[in-house]
Amino acid sequence: MSGLLMVAGREIRTQVRTRAFVISLLVSALLTGGIAFAPKWFDGPDEYNLGRVGGQELAIQALAPDAKITWKTYPDEGAATTAVLDGDVDVAVVDSKRVLTNGEIDDELGLLLQSANREAQIGAAGVTVTPLEMRSVGADTRYESARQGIATVVVLLLFFMIMSSVMVVAMGVVEEKGSRIVEILLISIRPWQLLGGKIFGLGVVGFINLTAVVAAGLVGAYLSGFATDFPPGMAGIVVSAVAWWILGYAFFAALAGSLASLVSRQEEVGNVLQPMMLLFLISYGVSFFASASPDHPVAEILSFVPPFSSMIMPVRVAASEVAVWEVLLSGGLMVVAVAATLMVGGRVYERAVLRTGRRLKVSEVLRTK
Amino acid sequence: MLEIRGLRKTFGAGKVALDGVSFAVPAGQMFGFVGANGAGKTTTMRIVMGVLQADEGEVIWNGRALTFAERRTFGYMPEERGLYQKMRVGEQIDYFGRLHGLGAGAVGKARDALIGRLGLTERVNDTVESLSLGNQQRVQLAVALIHDPELLILDEPFSGLDPIAVDVLAEVLHERARGGVPVIFSSHQLELVERLCDAVGIVSAGRMVASGTVEELRDAEGRRLRVVVRDPKSGWADGLPGELSKDGDRDVLTVVGGDDQAVLRRAVEAGHVESFGVERPTLVEIFREAVA
Repeated sequence: MSGLLMVAGREIRTQVRTRAFVISLLVSALLTGGIAFAPKWFDGPDEYNLGRVGGQELAIQALAPDAKITWKTYPDEGAATTAVLDGDVDVAVVDSKRVLTNGEIDDELGLLLQSANREAQIGAAGVTVTPLEMRSVGADTRYESARQGIATVVVLLLFFMIMSSVMVVAMGVVEEKGSRIVEILLISIRPWQLLGGKIFGLGVVGFINLTAVVAAGLVGAYLSGFATDFPPGMAGIVVSAVAWWILGYAFFAALAGSLASLVSRQEEVGNVLQPMMLLFLISYGVSFFASASPDHPVAEILSFVPPFSSMIMPVRVAASEVAVWEVLLSGGLMVVAVAATLMVGGRVYERAVLRTGRRLKVSEVLRTK
Repeated sequence: MLEIRGLRKTFGAGKVALDGVSFAVPAGQMFGFVGANGAGKTTTMRIVMGVLQADEGEVIWNGRALTFAERRTFGYMPEERGLYQKMRVGEQIDYFGRLHGLGAGAVGKARDALIGRLGLTERVNDTVESLSLGNQQRVQLAVALIHDPELLILDEPFSGLDPIAVDVLAEVLHERARGGVPVIFSSHQLELVERLCDAVGIVSAGRMVASGTVEELRDAEGRRLRVVVRDPKSGWADGLPGELSKDGDRDVLTVVGGDDQAVLRRAVEAGHVESFGVERPTLVEIFREAVA
């Protein structure tokens, strides 16, 4: 075990100290925090600047309580026209009769002005209108769009965070094999300690990255007020995403490590990882689909099948309500798959990593001793 | 004591790399392993270090089959050097020391002593990739020596080193051998092997064609006479064994074995004898003879 931990320690120190790690950590944290904050910039409350010549201010603030409305008065229609053309105001209301616009009027503003005008005239006639009362008789859909947004974020997060860490494992394996460092390393430690230490150490590094990104996203969401839209059980969604990242990373890293041990040159890594990439991209594609249709049978079934489940189940958890037993069953199956991959992958690695030169096949490696 | 017994190894497509290699290296012996490219030196060393599995044969350490735990105490410098390019020299040496089971304190002491000895003190915080190849090789050697190994196996440790570095390395290896460690290294620099080694093994086409101390190998070659005669009568050496060559107005006759007095009489009759003596073959000559 101590050999494994020493290997892991080296991987962590080597990664954490590189400038690339620090920069990518900062950039991804800032980016996620920024994206979480973005709704405030792009989707803030409506803002209308209105001009008025004579007449009364129309009571549109009551119709649009969230909007920010500013009125300016002008002495005559000429001044108001100039103001509209210069963009000082969006529109100008003249004598409560005409609305001056620069081209087409904004649909929503047009409706607001018409409604306010109608109410003002009806009110002037002494009639009081009771507003319609809205009542939902269906499921609570208040959080549907928030859930979908969060599910999309979970998909992207898992995709990038699993893949980036897994690639570092593959490159590291080839670095050691190609440079023959492995020949010296394996005098003093066993192959499983070397591969296990690498997967564990780089997993810790990936976990630090993931935690930083998730934390930055949550902080951004709270600062921007977006967090008030979070559905109930948000903590569970976050915990599940992180837990599934661990399982998904372990599976794909073991696969990548053993496949990478078949080749001796970095140029061959991409090629030899193709079967793994295929599995990974299918997981990604279906989980993306699941973020929009979490209850579709394909998404439901594959959320139990490792390794697809590692990306699809957390997305389903985010996008809809999933029973606890479903998550536990899927998680259990994934743990079994991870253990099996580690065992078979470890065997491939052990037999292939000292055979430098041409690319090896899994079947020939498993056949020979 | 390390014993290699009857190693055989065939690679795919029926290429025989080792065809029954056997030899022994007792404690404190410096053993030079020579042979043409592809003769089987590296394969033998890799089998001892567990990088390759032999098809047949055994590696015996102190009378018993070598185990993983015992091999952990060995120091190895592979033919194709392997270091983490982006890791600093000191950290790299420490890391390998720790993997070999040294504690943090012991590893620090051993590292400082080694880098001082190998002239790397000023480069200790540099990354390996920033070093010259010669210095990288010193780091590689430090990695092989950090845990005070009980056996040293070095594949071409001298190749690419400048004369000063060669002397340093030779001295370091001698120290280890004097401390009772069997030291095995391969080299194409036969003068160096002759100068440094207590014993030599010559491999050719996967077989050990000669092994023993340099003296033993010389004796096995037989005594060799060399006679130089100036202005000799032509045909004076007819009927004598050996090889005759011309060097200007001199004839040089080289005879292996035979009656030296008879050769001398004929030479004196033939002309002015400039030199007459028993020559000791160099390792280069022994090697050529052995692999021919």
